[in-house]
Amino acid sequence: MSSYFLIAGYMIPTLFGLLLVSPFGRSTADSLSSRFEILSTVRGQITAGLQLIVFFGFAVSAQTFWISSKISEGGNFCSASNVFSCDDLLGNNELNVDPLFGFSWGLIGMFVFAFLLFMVLVIKNEPNGQYTERFINLGALITGVGILTIMLLISYEMKEGKICLYCTTAHIANISALVGFLRLRKLYDDNSAWNEKPSK
Amino acid sequence: MKGNLTRDINAGAVGSAALSVTSLFFIAIMIIAFTANPVAIGTNVGQRAPDIEGKAFNGTSWETFDFESYFDPTWEPSNTSAQWVAIEFMDTDCPFCQSSASDYGQWANTYSANNPNWNGPHVNFLASATELSIQGHDSSRAEIQDFRSDNNHNFPYIDDIDQDNMKEWGIPATPTYFLIQPDGIIAWVSDDANDDLEQAIVRLTPQESA
Repeated sequence: MSSYFLIAGYMIPTLFGLLLVSPFGRSTADSLSSRFEILSTVRGQITAGLQLIVFFGFAVSAQTFWISSKISEGGNFCSASNVFSCDDLLGNNELNVDPLFGFSWGLIGMFVFAFLLFMVLVIKNEPNGQYTERFINLGALITGVGILTIMLLISYEMKEGKICLYCTTAHIANISALVGFLRLRKLYDDNSAWNEKPSK
Repeated sequence: MKGNLTRDINAGAVGSAALSVTSLFFIAIMIIAFTANPVAIGTNVGQRAPDIEGKAFNGTSWETFDFESYFDPTWEPSNTSAQWVAIEFMDTDCPFCQSSASDYGQWANTYSANNPNWNGPHVNFLASATELSIQGHDSSRAEIQDFRSDNNHNFPYIDDIDQDNMKEWGIPATPTYFLIQPDGIIAWVSDDANDDLEQAIVRLTPQESA
Protein backbone atom coordinates (compact mmCIF):
# COMPACT_ATOMS: atom_id res chain seq x y z
CA MET A 1 0.00 0.00 0.00
CA SER A 2 2.85 2.40 0.87
CA SER A 3 4.26 1.71 -2.58
CA TYR A 4 1.06 3.12 -4.11
CA PHE A 5 1.43 6.29 -2.00
CA LEU A 6 4.97 6.66 -3.27
CA ILE A 7 3.84 6.23 -6.86
CA ALA A 8 1.11 8.82 -6.25
CA GLY A 9 3.83 11.17 -5.01
CA TYR A 10 5.43 11.00 -8.47
CA MET A 11 2.29 10.61 -10.54
CA ILE A 12 0.21 13.52 -9.19
CA PRO A 13 2.80 16.29 -9.83
CA THR A 14 3.50 14.78 -13.25
CA LEU A 15 -0.19 14.84 -14.15
CA PHE A 16 -0.45 18.40 -12.81
CA GLY A 17 2.48 19.30 -15.04
CA LEU A 18 0.66 17.69 -17.97
CA LEU A 19 -2.39 19.82 -17.16
CA LEU A 20 -0.22 22.95 -17.20
CA VAL A 21 1.42 22.19 -20.54
CA SER A 22 -1.88 21.24 -22.14
CA PRO A 23 -4.28 23.85 -23.56
CA PHE A 24 -6.75 22.92 -20.82
CA GLY A 25 -4.47 24.23 -18.10
CA ARG A 26 -5.05 27.93 -18.75
CA SER A 27 -7.81 28.38 -16.18
CA THR A 28 -5.78 26.51 -13.54
CA ALA A 29 -2.75 28.68 -14.35
CA ASP A 30 -4.88 31.83 -14.13
CA SER A 31 -6.19 30.84 -10.72
CA LEU A 32 -2.64 30.33 -9.46
CA SER A 33 -1.03 33.30 -11.22
CA SER A 34 -1.58 35.70 -8.33
CA ARG A 35 0.65 33.45 -6.20
CA PHE A 36 3.04 32.31 -8.96
CA GLU A 37 3.67 35.15 -11.39
CA ILE A 38 5.28 32.88 -13.97
CA LEU A 39 1.88 31.28 -14.61
CA SER A 40 0.37 34.53 -15.87
CA THR A 41 1.78 33.99 -19.39
CA VAL A 42 1.33 30.96 -21.62
CA ARG A 43 5.08 30.58 -22.02
CA GLY A 44 5.56 30.66 -18.26
CA GLN A 45 2.73 28.21 -17.79
CA ILE A 46 4.26 25.68 -20.21
CA THR A 47 7.81 26.03 -18.91
CA ALA A 48 6.59 25.67 -15.31
CA GLY A 49 4.64 22.56 -16.32
CA LEU A 50 7.68 21.18 -18.13
CA GLN A 51 9.86 21.84 -15.10
CA LEU A 52 7.49 19.83 -12.92
CA ILE A 53 7.23 17.01 -15.45
CA VAL A 54 10.94 16.53 -16.12
CA PHE A 55 11.88 16.93 -12.45
CA PHE A 56 9.49 14.20 -11.38
CA GLY A 57 10.43 12.15 -14.45
CA PHE A 58 14.03 12.36 -13.22
CA ALA A 59 12.99 11.45 -9.66
CA VAL A 60 10.94 8.42 -10.69
CA SER A 61 13.74 7.24 -12.99
CA ALA A 62 16.16 7.47 -10.05
CA GLN A 63 13.65 5.49 -7.99
CA THR A 64 13.47 2.70 -10.61
CA PHE A 65 17.28 2.59 -10.79
CA TRP A 66 17.38 2.30 -7.00
CA ILE A 67 14.73 -0.46 -7.01
CA SER A 68 16.69 -2.44 -9.64
CA SER A 69 19.80 -2.15 -7.48
CA LYS A 70 17.96 -3.21 -4.30
CA ILE A 71 16.41 -6.23 -6.02
CA SER A 72 19.83 -7.35 -7.24
CA GLU A 73 20.93 -7.32 -3.59
CA GLY A 74 18.28 -9.92 -2.93
CA GLY A 75 15.55 -7.74 -1.52
CA ASN A 76 12.12 -7.06 -2.88
CA PHE A 77 10.39 -3.74 -3.13
CA CYS A 78 7.05 -3.93 -4.86
CA SER A 79 6.43 -7.59 -5.56
CA ALA A 80 2.77 -8.41 -5.78
CA SER A 81 0.69 -11.32 -6.95
CA ASN A 82 -1.48 -9.01 -9.04
CA VAL A 83 -0.66 -7.39 -12.36
CA PHE A 84 1.00 -4.35 -10.71
CA SER A 85 4.30 -5.95 -9.76
CA CYS A 86 7.28 -3.81 -10.63
CA ASP A 87 9.74 -6.31 -9.09
CA ASP A 88 9.04 -8.75 -11.93
CA LEU A 89 10.14 -6.15 -14.46
CA LEU A 90 12.72 -4.05 -12.60
CA GLY A 91 14.24 -7.23 -11.15
CA ASN A 92 14.41 -9.00 -14.51
CA ASN A 93 18.05 -8.82 -15.51
CA GLU A 94 17.30 -9.18 -19.19
CA LEU A 95 14.51 -6.62 -19.36
CA ASN A 96 15.76 -3.93 -16.97
CA VAL A 97 18.68 -2.95 -19.20
CA ASP A 98 18.81 -1.61 -22.74
CA PRO A 99 19.48 -4.33 -25.33
CA LEU A 100 22.43 -2.53 -26.97
CA PHE A 101 24.77 -1.45 -24.19
CA GLY A 102 23.29 -3.07 -21.10
CA PHE A 103 22.65 0.21 -19.24
CA SER A 104 19.86 0.22 -16.68
CA TRP A 105 16.68 1.83 -18.05
CA GLY A 106 16.44 3.78 -14.80
CA LEU A 107 19.90 5.26 -15.29
CA ILE A 108 19.10 6.13 -18.91
CA GLY A 109 15.91 7.85 -17.70
CA MET A 110 17.94 9.83 -15.17
CA PHE A 111 20.32 11.09 -17.86
CA VAL A 112 17.53 11.95 -20.30
CA PHE A 113 15.32 13.78 -17.79
CA ALA A 114 18.33 15.61 -16.31
CA PHE A 115 19.25 16.86 -19.78
CA LEU A 116 15.64 17.85 -20.46
CA LEU A 117 15.57 19.71 -17.14
CA PHE A 118 18.75 21.55 -18.12
CA MET A 119 17.19 22.64 -21.41
CA VAL A 120 13.91 23.69 -19.76
CA LEU A 121 15.83 25.82 -17.23
CA VAL A 122 17.81 27.52 -20.00
CA ILE A 123 14.62 28.19 -22.01
CA LYS A 124 12.90 29.55 -18.92
CA ASN A 125 15.77 31.83 -17.87
CA GLU A 126 16.71 33.04 -21.36
CA PRO A 127 13.54 32.81 -23.47
CA ASN A 128 15.11 34.82 -26.27
CA GLY A 129 18.58 33.39 -25.94
CA GLN A 130 20.58 31.86 -28.75
CA TYR A 131 19.96 28.31 -27.49
CA THR A 132 16.18 28.58 -27.07
CA GLU A 133 15.00 27.42 -30.49
CA ARG A 134 17.66 24.71 -30.63
CA PHE A 135 16.69 23.38 -27.18
CA ILE A 136 12.96 23.40 -27.96
CA ASN A 137 13.57 21.34 -31.10
CA LEU A 138 16.03 19.06 -29.33
CA GLY A 139 13.56 18.51 -26.48
CA ALA A 140 10.82 17.57 -28.94
CA LEU A 141 13.22 15.23 -30.76
CA ILE A 142 14.46 13.48 -27.58
CA THR A 143 10.97 12.96 -26.15
CA GLY A 144 9.76 11.85 -29.61
CA VAL A 145 12.46 9.16 -29.72
CA GLY A 146 11.39 8.34 -26.16
CA ILE A 147 8.01 7.25 -27.53
CA LEU A 148 9.75 4.42 -29.42
CA THR A 149 11.52 3.38 -26.23
CA ILE A 150 8.21 3.44 -24.36
CA MET A 151 6.69 1.14 -26.99
CA LEU A 152 9.57 -1.31 -26.50
CA LEU A 153 9.15 -1.24 -22.71
CA ILE A 154 5.38 -1.70 -22.96
CA SER A 155 6.03 -4.75 -25.16
CA TYR A 156 8.13 -6.13 -22.27
CA GLU A 157 5.24 -5.52 -19.87
CA MET A 158 2.82 -7.28 -22.19
CA LYS A 159 5.24 -10.20 -22.57
CA GLU A 160 5.56 -10.56 -18.80
CA GLY A 161 1.88 -9.84 -18.13
CA LYS A 162 2.89 -7.30 -15.48
CA ILE A 163 2.72 -3.52 -15.19
CA CYS A 164 5.41 -1.46 -13.47
CA LEU A 165 3.71 1.70 -12.22
CA TYR A 166 7.02 3.49 -11.61
CA CYS A 167 7.94 2.86 -15.24
CA THR A 168 4.47 3.96 -16.35
CA THR A 169 4.92 7.24 -14.47
CA ALA A 170 8.22 7.83 -16.28
CA HIS A 171 6.49 7.04 -19.59
CA ILE A 172 3.72 9.55 -18.81
CA ALA A 173 6.40 12.13 -17.96
CA ASN A 174 8.06 11.57 -21.34
CA ILE A 175 4.78 11.88 -23.25
CA SER A 176 3.81 14.98 -21.23
CA ALA A 177 7.21 16.53 -21.93
CA LEU A 178 6.71 15.87 -25.64
CA VAL A 179 3.36 17.71 -25.47
CA GLY A 180 5.08 20.58 -23.64
CA PHE A 181 7.95 20.91 -26.11
CA LEU A 182 5.58 20.76 -29.10
CA ARG A 183 3.42 23.52 -27.56
CA LEU A 184 6.54 25.58 -26.82
CA ARG A 185 7.64 25.19 -30.45
CA LYS A 186 4.27 26.41 -31.69
CA LEU A 187 4.33 29.31 -29.24
CA TYR A 188 7.90 30.26 -30.22
CA ASP A 189 6.73 30.78 -33.80
CA ASP A 190 4.28 33.43 -32.57
CA ASN A 191 6.59 36.25 -31.56
CA SER A 192 3.98 38.33 -29.69
CA ALA A 193 2.66 35.38 -27.69
CA TRP A 194 6.20 34.24 -26.86
CA ASN A 195 7.20 37.68 -25.59
CA GLU A 196 3.98 38.36 -23.70
CA LYS A 197 4.75 40.15 -20.42
CA PRO A 198 3.34 38.99 -17.11
CA SER A 199 0.24 40.97 -16.13
CA LYS A 200 0.67 43.04 -12.99
CA MET B 1 47.30 45.42 -26.42
CA LYS B 2 43.62 44.69 -26.91
CA GLY B 3 42.18 41.55 -25.40
CA ASN B 4 40.32 39.07 -27.60
CA LEU B 5 37.83 37.99 -24.97
CA THR B 6 34.30 37.35 -26.22
CA ARG B 7 31.18 37.68 -24.16
CA ASP B 8 28.42 35.05 -24.30
CA ILE B 9 25.27 36.77 -23.07
CA ASN B 10 23.62 33.37 -22.50
CA ALA B 11 26.45 31.97 -20.47
CA GLY B 12 24.79 32.89 -17.17
CA ALA B 13 21.57 30.99 -17.92
CA VAL B 14 23.35 27.97 -19.36
CA GLY B 15 25.92 27.86 -16.57
CA SER B 16 23.44 28.14 -13.73
CA ALA B 17 21.12 25.54 -15.32
CA ALA B 18 24.04 23.18 -15.86
CA LEU B 19 25.19 23.66 -12.28
CA SER B 20 21.70 23.04 -10.88
CA VAL B 21 21.10 19.90 -12.94
CA THR B 22 24.58 18.48 -12.34
CA SER B 23 24.14 19.00 -8.60
CA LEU B 24 20.75 17.31 -8.68
CA PHE B 25 22.14 14.37 -10.64
CA PHE B 26 25.13 14.04 -8.34
CA ILE B 27 22.94 14.08 -5.23
CA ALA B 28 20.61 11.40 -6.69
CA ILE B 29 23.54 9.16 -7.62
CA MET B 30 25.08 9.60 -4.16
CA ILE B 31 21.81 8.65 -2.46
CA ILE B 32 21.52 5.53 -4.65
CA ALA B 33 25.17 4.63 -4.07
CA PHE B 34 24.87 4.94 -0.28
CA THR B 35 21.55 3.11 0.08
CA ALA B 36 21.92 0.28 -2.43
CA ASN B 37 24.61 -2.33 -2.89
CA PRO B 38 23.81 -4.11 -6.15
CA VAL B 39 25.13 -7.62 -6.68
CA ALA B 40 26.54 -8.37 -10.10
CA ILE B 41 25.30 -11.33 -12.11
CA GLY B 42 28.01 -13.76 -13.03
CA THR B 43 29.60 -17.10 -12.34
CA ASN B 44 32.25 -16.09 -9.85
CA VAL B 45 31.94 -16.68 -6.13
CA GLY B 46 29.80 -13.92 -4.58
CA GLN B 47 27.92 -13.15 -7.78
CA ARG B 48 24.28 -13.93 -8.49
CA ALA B 49 23.91 -17.01 -10.67
CA PRO B 50 22.60 -16.30 -14.16
CA ASP B 51 19.29 -17.85 -15.15
CA ILE B 52 19.06 -21.29 -16.71
CA GLU B 53 16.40 -21.77 -19.33
CA GLY B 54 15.05 -24.72 -21.25
CA LYS B 55 13.22 -27.96 -20.73
CA ALA B 56 14.19 -30.36 -17.97
CA PHE B 57 13.63 -34.11 -17.74
CA ASN B 58 12.36 -35.09 -14.31
CA GLY B 59 12.08 -38.83 -14.92
CA THR B 60 8.75 -38.83 -16.67
CA SER B 61 8.60 -35.91 -19.09
CA TRP B 62 10.38 -32.81 -20.38
CA GLU B 63 8.96 -29.75 -18.72
CA THR B 64 9.84 -26.05 -18.64
CA PHE B 65 12.59 -25.55 -16.11
CA ASP B 66 12.19 -22.78 -13.55
CA PHE B 67 15.64 -22.12 -12.07
CA GLU B 68 14.48 -19.14 -9.99
CA SER B 69 12.02 -21.32 -8.09
CA TYR B 70 14.99 -22.91 -6.31
CA PHE B 71 15.98 -19.62 -4.65
CA ASP B 72 14.73 -17.22 -2.04
CA PRO B 73 16.40 -13.83 -2.60
CA THR B 74 15.54 -12.79 0.96
CA TRP B 75 17.43 -15.72 2.51
CA GLU B 76 19.57 -14.93 5.54
CA PRO B 77 22.51 -17.12 6.63
CA SER B 78 20.77 -17.62 9.98
CA ASN B 79 18.21 -19.76 8.14
CA THR B 80 20.16 -23.03 8.26
CA SER B 81 17.42 -25.22 6.84
CA ALA B 82 17.06 -23.45 3.49
CA GLN B 83 17.88 -25.57 0.46
CA TRP B 84 21.12 -25.15 -1.51
CA VAL B 85 21.71 -25.97 -5.16
CA ALA B 86 24.51 -27.92 -6.83
CA ILE B 87 24.65 -27.85 -10.61
CA GLU B 88 26.87 -29.71 -13.03
CA PHE B 89 27.45 -28.56 -16.60
CA MET B 90 28.16 -31.74 -18.52
CA ASP B 91 28.04 -33.54 -21.84
CA THR B 92 26.83 -37.13 -21.98
CA ASP B 93 29.71 -37.98 -24.35
CA CYS B 94 32.41 -36.39 -22.19
CA PRO B 95 34.56 -39.14 -20.59
CA PHE B 96 35.19 -37.10 -17.42
CA CYS B 97 31.44 -36.53 -17.02
CA GLN B 98 30.81 -40.24 -17.45
CA SER B 99 33.42 -41.20 -14.88
CA SER B 100 32.18 -38.66 -12.33
CA ALA B 101 28.49 -39.46 -12.82
CA SER B 102 28.37 -42.09 -10.10
CA ASP B 103 30.00 -39.72 -7.56
CA TYR B 104 27.57 -36.95 -8.48
CA GLY B 105 24.60 -39.29 -8.05
CA GLN B 106 26.00 -40.52 -4.74
CA TRP B 107 26.39 -36.96 -3.45
CA ALA B 108 22.80 -36.19 -4.48
CA ASN B 109 21.63 -39.04 -2.26
CA THR B 110 23.98 -38.18 0.60
CA TYR B 111 23.31 -34.45 0.90
CA SER B 112 19.58 -34.83 0.86
CA ALA B 113 16.87 -34.24 3.44
CA ASN B 114 15.98 -37.91 2.89
CA ASN B 115 19.31 -39.02 4.36
CA PRO B 116 18.95 -39.22 8.17
CA ASN B 117 22.74 -39.29 8.54
CA TRP B 118 23.16 -35.86 6.92
CA ASN B 119 22.68 -33.04 9.43
CA GLY B 120 22.93 -30.19 6.95
CA PRO B 121 20.48 -28.55 4.58
CA HIS B 122 18.98 -30.30 1.59
CA VAL B 123 21.06 -29.77 -1.55
CA ASN B 124 19.11 -29.83 -4.82
CA PHE B 125 21.26 -31.44 -7.49
CA LEU B 126 20.85 -30.43 -11.12
CA ALA B 127 22.60 -31.28 -14.37
CA SER B 128 22.70 -29.14 -17.48
CA ALA B 129 23.47 -31.41 -20.42
CA THR B 130 25.06 -29.77 -23.44
CA GLU B 131 26.49 -30.99 -26.73
CA LEU B 132 30.10 -29.93 -27.02
CA SER B 133 31.24 -28.82 -30.46
CA ILE B 134 33.55 -31.78 -30.80
CA GLN B 135 33.33 -34.57 -33.35
CA GLY B 136 31.56 -37.58 -31.91
CA HIS B 137 29.72 -35.57 -29.25
CA ASP B 138 26.32 -35.56 -30.97
CA SER B 139 23.63 -35.60 -28.34
CA SER B 140 19.87 -35.82 -28.07
CA ARG B 141 17.18 -35.78 -25.43
CA ALA B 142 16.94 -39.57 -25.68
CA GLU B 143 20.67 -39.83 -24.97
CA ILE B 144 20.29 -37.53 -21.95
CA GLN B 145 17.41 -39.65 -20.62
CA ASP B 146 19.49 -42.82 -21.08
CA PHE B 147 22.51 -41.27 -19.33
CA ARG B 148 20.29 -40.26 -16.42
CA SER B 149 18.72 -43.68 -15.99
CA ASP B 150 21.98 -45.58 -16.58
CA ASN B 151 23.51 -43.69 -13.64
CA ASN B 152 20.39 -44.01 -11.45
CA HIS B 153 20.14 -40.25 -11.09
CA ASN B 154 16.88 -38.94 -9.74
CA PHE B 155 17.46 -35.19 -10.21
CA PRO B 156 16.44 -32.99 -13.18
CA TYR B 157 18.52 -32.92 -16.35
CA ILE B 158 18.20 -29.70 -18.32
CA ASP B 159 18.38 -29.78 -22.11
CA ASP B 160 21.21 -27.43 -23.12
CA ILE B 161 22.05 -29.13 -26.40
CA ASP B 162 22.02 -25.70 -28.09
CA GLN B 163 24.70 -24.52 -25.57
CA ASP B 164 22.67 -21.42 -24.64
CA ASN B 165 23.05 -21.88 -20.89
CA MET B 166 26.65 -22.99 -21.21
CA LYS B 167 27.52 -19.79 -23.09
CA GLU B 168 25.51 -17.64 -20.67
CA TRP B 169 27.48 -19.13 -17.78
CA GLY B 170 30.80 -18.98 -19.65
CA ILE B 171 31.56 -22.66 -19.04
CA PRO B 172 35.06 -23.40 -20.35
CA ALA B 173 34.92 -27.20 -20.14
CA THR B 174 32.84 -30.10 -18.85
CA PRO B 175 32.25 -31.12 -16.19
CA THR B 176 32.06 -27.83 -14.29
CA TYR B 177 30.31 -27.71 -10.93
CA PHE B 178 28.76 -24.87 -8.92
CA LEU B 179 27.43 -24.76 -5.38
CA ILE B 180 24.83 -22.04 -4.94
CA GLN B 181 23.45 -20.55 -1.74
CA PRO B 182 19.68 -20.50 -1.10
CA ASP B 183 19.57 -16.83 -2.19
CA GLY B 184 21.07 -17.60 -5.61
CA ILE B 185 24.58 -16.34 -4.85
CA ILE B 186 27.38 -18.62 -6.03
CA ALA B 187 29.28 -20.04 -3.07
CA TRP B 188 31.77 -22.29 -4.83
CA VAL B 189 33.00 -23.02 -8.37
CA SER B 190 34.98 -26.10 -9.37
CA ASP B 191 37.30 -24.07 -11.62
CA ASP B 192 40.58 -23.42 -9.83
CA ALA B 193 39.18 -24.92 -6.62
CA ASN B 194 41.37 -27.08 -4.42
CA ASP B 195 38.46 -29.14 -3.15
CA ASP B 196 35.74 -31.09 -4.91
CA LEU B 197 31.99 -30.50 -4.74
CA GLU B 198 31.50 -32.87 -1.83
CA GLN B 199 34.16 -31.14 0.25
CA ALA B 200 32.68 -27.77 -0.66
CA ILE B 201 29.20 -28.85 0.49
CA VAL B 202 30.56 -30.06 3.82
CA ARG B 203 32.70 -26.94 4.26
CA LEU B 204 30.18 -24.28 3.21
CA THR B 205 26.73 -25.47 4.23
CA PRO B 206 25.61 -25.02 7.85
CA GLN B 207 25.37 -28.25 9.83
CA GLU B 208 23.69 -28.85 13.14
CA SER B 209 26.80 -30.04 14.91
CA ALA B 210 28.81 -27.07 13.64
